Amino acid sequence: MKLLADMGAYLGLVGPGVPILGAFMFNSIYKFPAYKFTCTNVFTTKTLTDAYRGAGRPEATFAIERIMDELAVELGRDPLELREQNWIKHEEFPFTTVCGLTYDSGNYEQATQQAMELFDYAGLRREQEERRRSGDPVQLGIGISTFTEMCGLAPSRVLGSLSYGAGGWEAASIRMLATGKVEVITGVSPHGQGHETAFSQIVADQLGVPFEDVEVLHGDTQISPKGLDTYGSRSLVVGGIAIVKAAEKVVAKAKKLAAHLLEASEDDIEFSGGTFTVRGTDKGKAIQEIAFAAFMAHDYPEDMEPSLDSDAVYDPENFSFPHGTHLAAIEIDTDTGHVDLRKYVCVDDIGNVVNPLIAEGQVHGGLAQGIAQALFEEANYDEQGTLVNGTFVDYTLPSAADLPSFDTRVVSTPATSNPLGVKGVGEAGTIASTPAIINGVLDAIRHLGVTDVEMPTTSQRVWRAIQEAQGRSTQKTPVDTHSPGAGLGSIDPNNPQGEVQ
Amino acid sequence: MIPSKFDYVKPSSVADAVAALQQGGEDAKILAGGQSLIPVLRLRLATPSVLIDLGGIPELRGIREDGDRIVIGAMTAYHDIIRDDLVKQHVTLLAQATETVADNQVRHRGTLGGSLAHADPAGDLGAVALALDAELVIAGADGSRTVPASDFFVDYFTTAIGEGEILTEIRFPKYTGWGSHYEKFNRTAQAWSMVAIAAAIRVEGGSIAEARVGLTNMGTTPIRATGVEQALVGQPATADAVRAAADRVTEGTSAPSDADAAADYREHLAKVLTGRAVLAAAG
Ligand SMILES: Cc1cc2nc3c(=O)[nH]c(=O)nc-3n(C[C@H](O)[C@H](O)[C@H](O)COP(=O)(O)OP(=O)(O)OC[C@H]3O[C@@H](n4cnc5c(N)ncnc54)[C@H](O)[C@@H]3O)c2cc1C
Repeated sequence: MKLLADMGAYLGLVGPGVPILGAFMFNSIYKFPAYKFTCTNVFTTKTLTDAYRGAGRPEATFAIERIMDELAVELGRDPLELREQNWIKHEEFPFTTVCGLTYDSGNYEQATQQAMELFDYAGLRREQEERRRSGDPVQLGIGISTFTEMCGLAPSRVLGSLSYGAGGWEAASIRMLATGKVEVITGVSPHGQGHETAFSQIVADQLGVPFEDVEVLHGDTQISPKGLDTYGSRSLVVGGIAIVKAAEKVVAKAKKLAAHLLEASEDDIEFSGGTFTVRGTDKGKAIQEIAFAAFMAHDYPEDMEPSLDSDAVYDPENFSFPHGTHLAAIEIDTDTGHVDLRKYVCVDDIGNVVNPLIAEGQVHGGLAQGIAQALFEEANYDEQGTLVNGTFVDYTLPSAADLPSFDTRVVSTPATSNPLGVKGVGEAGTIASTPAIINGVLDAIRHLGVTDVEMPTTSQRVWRAIQEAQGRSTQKTPVDTHSPGAGLGSIDPNNPQGEVQ
Repeated sequence: MIPSKFDYVKPSSVADAVAALQQGGEDAKILAGGQSLIPVLRLRLATPSVLIDLGGIPELRGIREDGDRIVIGAMTAYHDIIRDDLVKQHVTLLAQATETVADNQVRHRGTLGGSLAHADPAGDLGAVALALDAELVIAGADGSRTVPASDFFVDYFTTAIGEGEILTEIRFPKYTGWGSHYEKFNRTAQAWSMVAIAAAIRVEGGSIAEARVGLTNMGTTPIRATGVEQALVGQPATADAVRAAADRVTEGTSAPSDADAAADYREHLAKVLTGRAVLAAAG
């Protein structure tokens, strides 16, 4: 793999680290005997590059999933069958890849089979054949992306070996209040991902307290002084596990105090559903009672502080390796080049799921973002390196009206590297979807001779690609980059000759 | 951004509005639905000293029948046009095109008069007014004058409305029984037209008796595709005949080139879309 990485004019926070993350992922789910990676970072006159949802893994996934499709074409094989022949079988986990990562769990067969059924892969292939045979002006393409990613950043020693500027641990504290309520302090501060909900669920499960009694605090260094934050699909798999570890300490302290108060040996105390009981008796105390007893501190063991409050810092031992099979049905109007995403199915294996609605929301938003990269979004620069579409008047973003209703499902092969068996999900959609779309676009018009279309695959680019492949050279009139297009955008801020009357 | 400072007046009659406009001079600006003007103010591409809001003049709003004309007040919102029975029956093409403008929120505020006065070549309603030979009634200090759509659009964002004048109503001839279609091509569902074709067709005994075709965003103003219209008349409403006529659509155009589409691509689109629009209009 030879990578030329555009850093922009300055180095950002982790700009040069982004291609390095990708370096571990070009082999993806496949069994590669050998692999070499060289990367040259280049300074350009553009805006600086930094980590963006997926960071490094979308590029790697794009490359390998495009290559698998090209290989299938060259060999005359079904692209899914070729992938299956080369991927790690479910019984081969844990599997150490050519890059030295050990994938702990996964089942590519299961996700793929379910996705193919939901998608009606066989039926759509038949429709594609039919449209080709009849020369339908609207051609159908099937886009495939069977992705995996390394997330849950990250074992601190691994980051150290890569000269990364920080560790990868996460911090959590739990405070058991006298009222029986629980305060949880996390270093991963959400900005819309629903940590408050998911983390409250985890604490309610761990401590056996009502979900409503848990309050998650974050985002202010006066409350939560320590943390490495929300990125790299790490909040649940690192931050969430730190909370589990802190909860385990709370339970251990509470157990000691419970044994003391119940006049039993600690070995005879059982904890379940928020209550400590003496084995074989009906004597017991709720965790809230224990918390109050600790607060009162009238009666507690000699070798203990009168508090259940606990801190934990969790440094993961491995990354998290979610995977999934994404399938897109793309229709292309060959007369205009218009690309229409007709259907999108994905089955993601994200291990155990704490909150299905949040997981679906993460996949959903990620898909829209990754699909937008393939079909709509682009930063345009002129020859001087000036960004010419720097406002939302002229920067194209899709809305719900431009996207189909996604069919997203999850299957679960629990992670073995953490006690909850969870895997990251925040970046799955952006990593997987872009190559699925581009593979679908090319699959729709490959029989016309088209072998590549630059992203985003605008109608104009698709139309030109078809014309050129058919030997009709299109004479491209010079484009005025300063005229960003129709509507309000047609009032060029640099030359407002079109100022309203 | 926040607009630069301006005064605001809200007259309750056309006469008062014209007076306020004359008083405000060159720096006065009319505010209709604000869907183009407010963004322009916020980007500080315009810095008027006074805004004259036409929202308080009831006579400028509404749709009525006047003999063989359907008359639409300049301040009538898109939303009301789309739902109006007179428009749907006699000026179907206008309802169809208006339905493709922006999103529901914009259609509740934006007005037909504002759209035509703004004269953005990518705006959707100029081509309709032109193709259907609408007449535009303009009021000034010396009373009202009526300008045919063919004389109304002068250039990029420039119309026949003079300084101190207000567009008060738009009069459409009736096209009862005609088939029509507005074929819009854009990058995203709620964006302006990259190219769009407005077509109204009268079919008699299987062949095209009359045709009216207007083009959006194929030049600095809306354009009437007279070559296509002539080529269509007398032809059967078949795909082959219509496509052959559609080839003449680029006559007299000067399509813009921008990041979304270069001129040659727009010309190609115009041909394809004209075929589709006419066939759909002919039913
Ligand atoms: C998100 C968004 C999407 C849009 N998409 C589209 C689209 O797809 N297609 C499309 O055609 N348009 C689109 N528009 C523009 C919209 O149609 C505007 O409403 C229209 O261009 C202006 O109408 P208005 O009533 O809002 O006028 P205003 O914005 O209030 O005024 C526009 C201009 O016309 C002048 N003016 C207004 N009324 C009169 C009058 N009676 N007499 C004299 N001068 C007058 C004003 O002084 C101003 O210069 C979009 C706008 C937005 C915000």
